[in-house]
Amino acid sequence: MTTAAPPVNQLTPLEWVRKNLFKNWWSGVLTILLIPLILVLGYRAFLFFFVNGQWEAVQRNLTLFMIGTFDREMEWRIYSQILLFVLAFGIGLGTNSAAVQDRAEDAGLPYERSSVLATVGRMWSLVVFLGILLWFASTDDVGGLLNPFLLIGAAVAVLLVGFQAFRFPRRLRSAGWLLTATFLVLGFQVVSGFDVGGWLPLGLTYGIAAYMVAPVGRFEAGWLRIVMRLVAAVAVVAVIRTIYALVDSPGIGWDEWSGLHLTLMVSAIAIVLAFPLGLLLALGRRSTLPAVRIMSTMYIEVIRGVPLITLLFMGQFILGFMLPAGTDLSAVSRAIAAMTLFTAAYVAEIVRGGLQALPRGQTEAGQALGLAPPTIMNRIVLPQALRAVIPAMVGQFISLFKDSSLLFIISIVEFLRVRSLVHTQPDFRAVSIAETLVFVAIGYWAFAFAMSRESQRLERRLRVTR
Amino acid sequence: MEAGVKRINETDPNANGLGGNQGQRQRNRIRVAAYVGRFCQLTFQTDGGEMKRSKLLVAFFAFALILAACSDDGGGDTTVAGGGEGGGTLQAVLDRGELNCGVNETLPGFGEVAEDGSYSGFDIEFCRVVAAGVLGDANAVKYVPLTAEQRFTALQAGEIDVLIRNTTWTATRDGQEGVNFLYTTFYDGQGMMVPASTGFTTLEDLDGANICVLSGTTTELNLTAVFNARGIAFNPVVFEDNNQLRPAYEEEQCEGWTSDASQLGSWKFTIESEGGADQTIMSEIFSKEPLGPAVADGDTEWAQVVNWSVMATVQAWEFGLNSGNIGSYSGTDPNILNFIGTDNFDPKLGLPSDFAVQIVEQVGNYPEIYNQFAELAPLDGSVNDLWSNGGLMYVPPYR
Repeated sequence: MTTAAPPVNQLTPLEWVRKNLFKNWWSGVLTILLIPLILVLGYRAFLFFFVNGQWEAVQRNLTLFMIGTFDREMEWRIYSQILLFVLAFGIGLGTNSAAVQDRAEDAGLPYERSSVLATVGRMWSLVVFLGILLWFASTDDVGGLLNPFLLIGAAVAVLLVGFQAFRFPRRLRSAGWLLTATFLVLGFQVVSGFDVGGWLPLGLTYGIAAYMVAPVGRFEAGWLRIVMRLVAAVAVVAVIRTIYALVDSPGIGWDEWSGLHLTLMVSAIAIVLAFPLGLLLALGRRSTLPAVRIMSTMYIEVIRGVPLITLLFMGQFILGFMLPAGTDLSAVSRAIAAMTLFTAAYVAEIVRGGLQALPRGQTEAGQALGLAPPTIMNRIVLPQALRAVIPAMVGQFISLFKDSSLLFIISIVEFLRVRSLVHTQPDFRAVSIAETLVFVAIGYWAFAFAMSRESQRLERRLRVTR
Repeated sequence: MEAGVKRINETDPNANGLGGNQGQRQRNRIRVAAYVGRFCQLTFQTDGGEMKRSKLLVAFFAFALILAACSDDGGGDTTVAGGGEGGGTLQAVLDRGELNCGVNETLPGFGEVAEDGSYSGFDIEFCRVVAAGVLGDANAVKYVPLTAEQRFTALQAGEIDVLIRNTTWTATRDGQEGVNFLYTTFYDGQGMMVPASTGFTTLEDLDGANICVLSGTTTELNLTAVFNARGIAFNPVVFEDNNQLRPAYEEEQCEGWTSDASQLGSWKFTIESEGGADQTIMSEIFSKEPLGPAVADGDTEWAQVVNWSVMATVQAWEFGLNSGNIGSYSGTDPNILNFIGTDNFDPKLGLPSDFAVQIVEQVGNYPEIYNQFAELAPLDGSVNDLWSNGGLMYVPPYR
């Protein structure tokens, strides 16, 4: 299958200006009116950023904005977390890139492997934000120059190392994903601690993996295979659990995180939890079982009818009395719960939209082939439905990310609330307000924009827009 | 290869996926199992996609069993929240080895967070006082930032052990909020700040003036009540927060700024130290705002412990003991010997016998704490001075 590239029109600059700026008289008038306006605004922005802005409030509090009141002696945990996450990201990127290549090869389609550079280029907003951080950090005189640059150098190296996962032979593709998951979990736990109870995520991941890959080929009877798989899984889980029990080093729980770190982690956790919950709710709402359908519908409609801030307040004020005494659920946990429950309802409606947009014939075709309902759902319906709703879904996640600033109101020191701390400090009381606000806004924008770009790429790759 | 197709073919080779009684029954059974398994499988669908439903279900239940088996010892140490149900907060704090202290982290002079993420402020120091008294370590504090709305709920729900968050002791709060107010650490009150250049000295001078005030606060209500009662005409200019109020005040959009005197003090300090116009805070205070620690109702033991820890700072002041000399006291005053715990004196408060020494050595006596914050009004001769100097700081004798 080959497609001819569309003809490219090469315009000279003059032609471009005539075509785009002075196509007709009103376009000409608009251009003449707008250009000075843009120039003036640009000049004012330049003055603000580089001449008049008092950026000392941001510069001196850069660490406070990043990690808030996080124990400074434990900063190494955050650095390790960044590196482990970058490693996981690199491995995931490499594995994904190889997997896409595999599929293209299978289908006999031409394929060019995406490079790390292309991915980083897609997330240029994050690079801009990083640049701003470095600029502030490098003008700091207290050894601020070395650490961030070292960290970024190490991160780049780790990213490139991780990306080498694309060299894994094809049968080790799942191992790539397993490694990604491992480093994500380890990255999380390097801050939250490797205590006894923390074995669960890795234990489950590796347990399931062991169950799936256990060498049971030489056992004839089906039940014996299952038993052997279970034995393998239990053995792996036991090993992991023992390791955790031996290490058992407590870290710093999320109720003591703050700043941008908290904002990012809370959003990520809420997104990860809200997606499966929303999917279940969407399927539940279309279920043929009345109890499931009614409960899902009620949940969705009740939660969608309530503002997020109300849920957050309820989490803070009511949940504490509804839980059994002694349940030590921190404010952050309750906020995450509220955000997850809220977003899940919206995700459910988005997914339902995708399910409804799918022609009924797709399901019927699957039934005619004699496929089991879960297979129809997993292999025919969901892939198409989810693909169609990626833009809406990412939009919801971006909105969740920005809504995490509502934690401000319940006194959780997330990114935006750090401003309040800064403006309570004797040197910055009620001064440099615009500067800190602009800084925080750029921070939110950088991440939201990167998410948006990533969703656009997904749309293209999965060919949502045909 | 589709998993479902494979399964049907495997289990019923005659059915060809269509027709046949046996095939039909088989498919129905699969369907029922599938409905149950669907929710499990959705979450566990992997790239391989080769796992079969039945096996997946078995695996799932196996893991559930493992979880159940492990859960009894897997929890680690549970931190029991104190307060609320009466009794046990002291023990809970001792077991935890850390004091959960509810604070305000955005109140100049009382609770601030420095660039390095450390808390400081007058209220913060009293969290440290309680930690030093109870645990012997002033740094064993976990600060829990709370909004004004959250503070009492957090106390009742046991999320914090003690609330030291510029909370005014009022009858309603004492009666309705289920909290127990303890020794007042700071006698505050609403005041009025004017630029020194205006020469105003009494509220009457402000007749017809614009007054800057934060909206929706008790301060705003007080302002209206006092000015109306005294027949002084005024025009309130309300703001959402001090970051907006301060520039407006400095641009002279209003002639007076009313707030708690302690807050006005820190703003006066900030404005003047940043080269702004000189400010005057009128001597007249037109509301009573006693600020101090509060604990949940119903735990007298804990209330005593917090109360006597806080009062030890004033008692040390009265005895002339400070962080420098309390450890090396060599006098013979029996009261002081009782106080520093060298005399085998134990009032059975639930505090260690050397609690006062720990508090004063690690944190300081009352003026040492107070004078760390230059923005608070001078202590000498103020309402917060020692009773023997004409102030209100008076603690029961330690004997």
